[in-house]
Amino acid sequence: MTIDRVLWMPLIFAFLCLIPCPKRMTRLTFTTGAVLSAIGAWLFVFGVYWSPRVFAFSGNLMMDSLSAVFVLLITSVGMLSAVYAGGYLFKEGDSSISSLRLRRYAFFFHLFLFTMLLTVFSNNLGIMWIAIEGTTLASAFLVNVDDKKSSIEAAWKYLILCSVGIALALFGIILVYYSAIAQVSAGENVFLLNWTFLLSRAGQLDPQIIRLAFIFILVGYGTKAGLAPFHSWLPDAHSQAPAPVSALLSGVLLSCATLGILRFHILTTAATGSAFSGTLLILFGVLSVAVATPFILEQKDYKRLLAYSSVEHMGLAAVGLGFGGAFGAYAAILHIVNHAFTKSMLFFSCGHLLYLFKTKEIGKIKGIFLENPFLGIIFFLGVLAIAGMPPFSIFVSEFLILSAGFLAGKFIPCVFLLVLLALIFIGFLRHANGMTFGASEESPASEKSFLMDSVLDIGLIVIFVMGFYIPGPFQKLLLEAGRVAGGVIV
Amino acid sequence: MSPELAASLIHFFGMVLLIASFWILASSRIGTCIRAYATHSFLLALITAVIAVTNHVEHLLVPAILTLILKTIVIPQVFFRIIRRLGIRKEVESCFNIPFSLLLAVLLVFISFYVTGDGKILKPVAFSEFIPLAVSTVFFGMLMMTTRKKAISQVLGLLLIENGLFLMAVTMTFGMPLLVEMGIFFDVLVAAMIMGIFVFKIRDAFESIDADDMTVLKG
Repeated sequence: MTIDRVLWMPLIFAFLCLIPCPKRMTRLTFTTGAVLSAIGAWLFVFGVYWSPRVFAFSGNLMMDSLSAVFVLLITSVGMLSAVYAGGYLFKEGDSSISSLRLRRYAFFFHLFLFTMLLTVFSNNLGIMWIAIEGTTLASAFLVNVDDKKSSIEAAWKYLILCSVGIALALFGIILVYYSAIAQVSAGENVFLLNWTFLLSRAGQLDPQIIRLAFIFILVGYGTKAGLAPFHSWLPDAHSQAPAPVSALLSGVLLSCATLGILRFHILTTAATGSAFSGTLLILFGVLSVAVATPFILEQKDYKRLLAYSSVEHMGLAAVGLGFGGAFGAYAAILHIVNHAFTKSMLFFSCGHLLYLFKTKEIGKIKGIFLENPFLGIIFFLGVLAIAGMPPFSIFVSEFLILSAGFLAGKFIPCVFLLVLLALIFIGFLRHANGMTFGASEESPASEKSFLMDSVLDIGLIVIFVMGFYIPGPFQKLLLEAGRVAGGVIV
Repeated sequence: MSPELAASLIHFFGMVLLIASFWILASSRIGTCIRAYATHSFLLALITAVIAVTNHVEHLLVPAILTLILKTIVIPQVFFRIIRRLGIRKEVESCFNIPFSLLLAVLLVFISFYVTGDGKILKPVAFSEFIPLAVSTVFFGMLMMTTRKKAISQVLGLLLIENGLFLMAVTMTFGMPLLVEMGIFFDVLVAAMIMGIFVFKIRDAFESIDADDMTVLKG
């Protein structure tokens, strides 16, 4: 496998899904496509992960250990999500969604995976920008699958806000390009926007311009990553999208945008030799957690609850990156991975909930455990995991992030975060308690789908096992990625 | 072309460009807005072409031609078709009346000259006068996006921001690398198309295209 083959796979399957054929065939192409792309990507990543950087497309695309982690994340969550969507949207005998609409959905789903893979593979910062804008465009139709008023509103907000944010990021990239162009002779023009090239010449870049550029990048990609106060599109889009898409948006799209910020963070730290970008990341990270807290405590819609929790966790990851060093960066990347799996599993169980109870309101759901013990257990454990309860994986990474903070001597943000995390924990427990236990008022519909249930099982196993054991090769990859992100390897 | 002629030509185009951006804000009909946007893009293409010729950066001619084709002809045509199909005859609706938005716009031009005019941080390769012009175009776009109520005006605002950034890239660095520039054009075109489709969806669901009517989602 090579980088281009990993990229081609979802693109080819996107167009295969468009072929007019019976629903069952589309579903087969759609699901096997995602599974095959995932297997291909894993083979590729674990085939080359010990070599530090793999280039393709004359240096414009690159995979280092950092992007390898994200490739694994995108394809794994993408695969789970596609399998779940196979049961969720392609229900037998369900005529509410037309076959044309399903094909279009499958097409955009794979296109979305492709743009996200392109984002993490980009070495050229301009191409990364194009890919991130591409993720917005590809997923706008996924947010609005059913043409309801609320979905259209969510998709419109998402399109407009993210496009404006991304436009600001473009300004930042122009500034970086400008600072690079001033330093080199005409012949080297081709590589000027390549991250690896910029990093190797970081000392020669004008620190003032790089600082200015980082601010624009942080605001621009921060909009996409759901950092407060630019997060206002996020709860709408996450709550209106179908469950498999919410899982992708929250689990990996936000992570991809964070990778965009991270690349510039590494560059800025190297170029300015100061903690400027780290301090900004801590500031916006803590702000995100603080903004999310009241909305989590007083939430009435369980999908929005999870969306605000994504704001919180992206904030935590940003704080971890801001604390810096190989340790803080490792903790942040681990947190992104853990969050992606936990949150996507929770969104899948929300898909079950919505199907069974036909409502998104927390107050109207009672006694999941009595009605459907399997779902009750999964949902309750998932909520405990996302709230940061040991022995689940999120607890470990939150603990590591805070330890990195205390080690770095950043006591004030750490103490503040501890208080907020305790509040969020209480909020989650209160909501989940009301929903899971007690007697159900009405008898909901019940239907079993083996595939959908097994996706939930796999998710739960992953987040449980990751809590105390990370497989050797993956751990090595994570450590390596932490060293790249911490600026130890240049 | 002699340098003096080129310089005065560039300055003239820059002035008309600023006038065109004011025209976008000042016009009370969406049709006129689109025409003003097309003019703005046309001038952008001219400026890019002149900079390309005078500084012998031939690769800059490609984005100039693309600007001419896409932003001056294709996107405005798509927009005209949209407003024809939507049957919009009404005026542009804004939170502020037009004189007040123009006043704000003048203020924004002053701010952008004040912020970037000293040339301390940004020393452009071509014509330093365009930096404040580019920044004010971006500001105008944002003003349009925040104060206009019609969904379609918001898309125009976004395109205006894009034009400002393009001007910024051209004057500061002779444009981004060609590969990146092409990708950006592609993205802008696709974004305009997708937003156009969504304008129809909004009309069908909300029976108007006022973005202010979209208040279902809260909290």
